[in-house]
Amino acid sequence: MPELPELNPVIHGKLRLALLSLLSGIEEAEFTWLRAKTGSTDGNLGAQLLKLEEAGYVAVEKKFVQRKPQTLYRMTEAGREALTEYVQALRQLLGGAIGS
Amino acid sequence: MTKSGEEQELKERLRLIESMIAEGRRSHERWGWVYVLWGVANCTAIIWTALAHFPYAWPITMITAAVLTAVLAVRKTAHRPSTTLGRAVSSIWITLGVSMMLLFPALGISGRIDEYIQISVASAMLGMAYAASAILLRWKAQFACALIWWGSSVFACFGKGTPVAVVYLSAIFFCMIVFGVYGMISDWRARKQEAVHA
Repeated sequence: MPELPELNPVIHGKLRLALLSLLSGIEEAEFTWLRAKTGSTDGNLGAQLLKLEEAGYVAVEKKFVQRKPQTLYRMTEAGREALTEYVQALRQLLGGAIGS
Repeated sequence: MTKSGEEQELKERLRLIESMIAEGRRSHERWGWVYVLWGVANCTAIIWTALAHFPYAWPITMITAAVLTAVLAVRKTAHRPSTTLGRAVSSIWITLGVSMMLLFPALGISGRIDEYIQISVASAMLGMAYAASAILLRWKAQFACALIWWGSSVFACFGKGTPVAVVYLSAIFFCMIVFGVYGMISDWRARKQEAVHA
């Protein structure tokens, strides 16, 4: 019997998974946009994004636009690979249960 | 946790991924208003030139439309994420705009142009942009507009007088104003549907 894959704990958290999934469909996004889409608080969002950044799954760019600070997040290649592996593991774990 | 409980949670994760990816891709800006704006600008310039014979009608309306587009676009896209598709589509329209803004004033100043060539070249360039955007967005209505532009371009090469102007004005009306309003209505419907599903 083939061994069942383990789910990546960094991605498995709901908010972190939502953030990586959101970033996978776009090039980059502002902190405020991510907050609006996930409906999370500043503190929680910042903490989860920091975890993803530490894991090398997202890259951060801070800049000033019209004298206002802007924090941009984008998914890294490592993040994309990790999300792909996570989805594959999920599908493997669910097996025939997908779609039921 | 029971096996079915775990299974349910994993399924929820999968659904979350799918919905968030879709959410990210949906985040493009709506551009129906740009077509309407440029349609109105073109009609204004044509009517202004025809009725008043004012030599600066085209430069004034085109520059005004370009400034308005730039200001509104910056305001509407602020804080929105950028997508590869969005950048690809906007690159078509920006390069088209720059090309037309350089080519037609230069041809007009040099005098190496007549109204038939102007209509033919403008229609062909617009047809190319509409078709490229339609292929990227898989938008059949926009591709139909590209065919109208190309038709207008070919007709301007062979036709003469009023019929050429009528075909060109009809192309502007249908492919810019009507298509723009249709785009705005489609966006409004899509937003309404999104709000219902949210």
